[in-house]
Amino acid sequence: MRAAPAHRLGAAEQRALEHWQTRRRWARAGLVYAVMLLFAIVFVGPLLFAAVSSLRTDPLAYPPSLAIPQLRPSNWAAAARLGQAGAADRWFGGFAPGAVVPFEIAYFVPDGVDVTDPDVEVPRRRPGAGLGAVLAIEYAADHASVSELRRLPDVPMTVETGDGTISGRRVGYAFTIRYEGTGPEIDRLPLDVTAAVGMQYLDSTLTASRLERRGRTASFNDVAPGVLGYVLRNYVRVFNEVRSPATRQSLFLAWIGNSFTFAAVRIVVTLVIASMAGYALARLRFRGREAIFMLVLFSQMVPLQVLFISNYLVLRDGILTIGGFTLSSLWGYPGGMLNSLTGLVFVTALNAGAVFIMKQFFESIPREVEEAAMIDGANHWRRYWNVVLPMARPALGALTILTFQGAWNDFFWPFIVLTSPENVKTLPIGLLSFRNTYGAVGDWGLILAGAVTSAIPVIILFVVFQRYFMEGVSFGGGKE
Amino acid sequence: MRRILTIVLATALIGGAFAQQIRIMGYGGQDPAILVRLLDEVIGAELAAEGITLTYEPLEGDYNAALFNALSAGTAADIFYIPVETAPGIIATGKVLALDGLFDTAPFIESLVEAYTVDGSVYGIAKDFNTLAIHYNIDLFDEAGVDYPDANDTWATFADKLRAVAALDTDVYGTCFPAGFDRFGAFAFATGWQPFDADGATNLLDPAFIEAVTWYTDLVREGVAIQPSDIGQGWTGGCFATDDVAIAIEGAWMLGFLRNEAPNLQYGTTFMPIGPSGERGNFLYTVAYGINTDSPNRAAALRVLEAITGPAAQQWVLEQGLAIPSRTALADNPFFLEGTPEATANRVVFEGAADGNVLGFQFGNIGTDWMTPVNDALVAIMTGQATVDESLTEAQRDLNALIERAR
Repeated sequence: MRAAPAHRLGAAEQRALEHWQTRRRWARAGLVYAVMLLFAIVFVGPLLFAAVSSLRTDPLAYPPSLAIPQLRPSNWAAAARLGQAGAADRWFGGFAPGAVVPFEIAYFVPDGVDVTDPDVEVPRRRPGAGLGAVLAIEYAADHASVSELRRLPDVPMTVETGDGTISGRRVGYAFTIRYEGTGPEIDRLPLDVTAAVGMQYLDSTLTASRLERRGRTASFNDVAPGVLGYVLRNYVRVFNEVRSPATRQSLFLAWIGNSFTFAAVRIVVTLVIASMAGYALARLRFRGREAIFMLVLFSQMVPLQVLFISNYLVLRDGILTIGGFTLSSLWGYPGGMLNSLTGLVFVTALNAGAVFIMKQFFESIPREVEEAAMIDGANHWRRYWNVVLPMARPALGALTILTFQGAWNDFFWPFIVLTSPENVKTLPIGLLSFRNTYGAVGDWGLILAGAVTSAIPVIILFVVFQRYFMEGVSFGGGKE
Repeated sequence: MRRILTIVLATALIGGAFAQQIRIMGYGGQDPAILVRLLDEVIGAELAAEGITLTYEPLEGDYNAALFNALSAGTAADIFYIPVETAPGIIATGKVLALDGLFDTAPFIESLVEAYTVDGSVYGIAKDFNTLAIHYNIDLFDEAGVDYPDANDTWATFADKLRAVAALDTDVYGTCFPAGFDRFGAFAFATGWQPFDADGATNLLDPAFIEAVTWYTDLVREGVAIQPSDIGQGWTGGCFATDDVAIAIEGAWMLGFLRNEAPNLQYGTTFMPIGPSGERGNFLYTVAYGINTDSPNRAAALRVLEAITGPAAQQWVLEQGLAIPSRTALADNPFFLEGTPEATANRVVFEGAADGNVLGFQFGNIGTDWMTPVNDALVAIMTGQATVDESLTEAQRDLNALIERAR
């Protein structure tokens, strides 16, 4: 066949084609990036939204916005100053003996409206939920006294409304809150300032936490918070307020500790067992090897839910109970292994998936490497420990990360095994009890703060070990 | 020295021999902390002297599911909570000890005992309870110049007051009415209607029920009442805390929420309005302690039950403002007459249990599924998708099927 005569492009045409190709390349890249950006927003958006909402006084407020008082630098400075005045602590604030906390508040008063001095009160505010609602607590109201109001010079001003401009003046007041006598240091100093009808709240040293009574009462959760006590109020509360009723120990810290311990022990156990079993299945020749491997695979096919009742009963009875003797009493659990991290590790640590991953990885290592070691007289153990295991580092790294993530986020088993007391729980189960305790009274800020905190270790892990994550996924899914 | 040691050892041995560990399973939330304080401050020493120790095991998440699991696995505690809405189902498992002759139920509020009575036997002792009451926003009523709701209000005068406050502003409503039988039911009972007849059947086409549905949904269609979701709230308490509505119909569980979310809200509390039958209607929401029939320490469990529902324990719980006691004798407790808004609200909720047509929040062994067809009908009517007759006819059909299946 004769080739079609090559059509010669003119210089202009050539340039046009190049331009077209460039545009097309850019359009393609643009499209890919737009889609990726969209995915990023869709996946990261809720997390960011939760993180910002967890800072707010009312996390349910809609629409979500970054322009919140907690993110305003002027409030940071004021919070630090007030915290310093309240308890000489610019970070966490408080209300300590000898404190003199200065405060100012300003109202807009339209022309023709009489100015009445507002009522300033340190209220006796009992928490609506959680331990604060149940246990006897110290109230700032019992120790605080509010000074006379000092009226600041009026400043003429106008306010724009939908109906036009209203002229009037800015009326400001200054006062101090003093800690009278001696007493304990108190966590927070709430404040209510109630103005007459017609006076509109403008601003104050620290932005009001909420306006109540149709705008008349400016209510402050804490007027001596310190910077962190102000911006991260819900986070500070998560650590401070969630305490064991019996020991007053911080439950949230205990839960974090349990989660880390559980994850660490599970990683160690998984690595040891999976690498040894994987090596045996990959390299040793013994009778029944195939059958055992099939059994391992098969155990992965059985859903967790099918086995959990029998496993639960095994834990409850301390593995085996014969005539009043409980097997688990040998290692310190005479009453069964429910409600213990040991029991939890016991039922979750054996992971057929991990064995499978390790077996496949060992099979990918050339036999010649081991044969060389064998010629040098290395036995199975030496070959495993000194030759193959160091080469398996990528697989072990991936397994570590996957196990950590799995253990940290594990809900099902901890939920079944760890019920009582409160301080034996892991973080996800603890967060569930938050919902029951604080959700009922609308305290979503605290719940969100707890949830965001629990996500942080996994996020850090992901950012630092991104590469291993990808490898982990390809080990798990790609081979054979 | 040696003698002291011997005595200590002997006491420990004797104590050990008689020590009885009683487990209680109940809700999560703040109940564990309340029990710890109750033990520390009121009943712990007494029980310890008798060699009884208590542990509380909160079941987080879905309590009923967790309890049924524990009952079937044989790990249920000696004493467990029995929520009123699932009580018939839990009692039907046969795992709850009948308290006839073992426990004196006379000092407890009658309607609460009735809610746990099956075939003449009592199976649970109410821990505490709640009923519905009218909580009103004093500022909004003052601003509108309308009289506060009071105990003499009928449906008509009550609705007129709501209309008058709602006229104040476009974003102010009379009340939030959720499309749910768990609140609406109280109005249905005020007509004299009962959810089940003697044969265990439900009649939604009863003129009394239709009257209640019409009154309730008309207020929403008129714009005097609004569904919470329409103003971005999840429940009536949320509407109330933001000054959006003049009144809220809720129980004392709202008080903790208000302390957190609207600490300065000026509110008063009064009784539910009087319905067409000349009586008020109300729900009893409660949870009781029941004893496990398989408990190895039945005598000790009974002793614990006596202590935690005893006069001293209940008085303490009341005076700490933690819950409303189930003993009639506490009606005269000075706490109720303190005059603070919370004390008044607690008193009204307490007295609500014996005022008018009060029924337990209970639907036989059908459980809360019973409410689904009714709730669907309420939504359809409130949003104008169907008429009262159409939607109730459909709901009746669905409900008949449910009841048939449960038989």
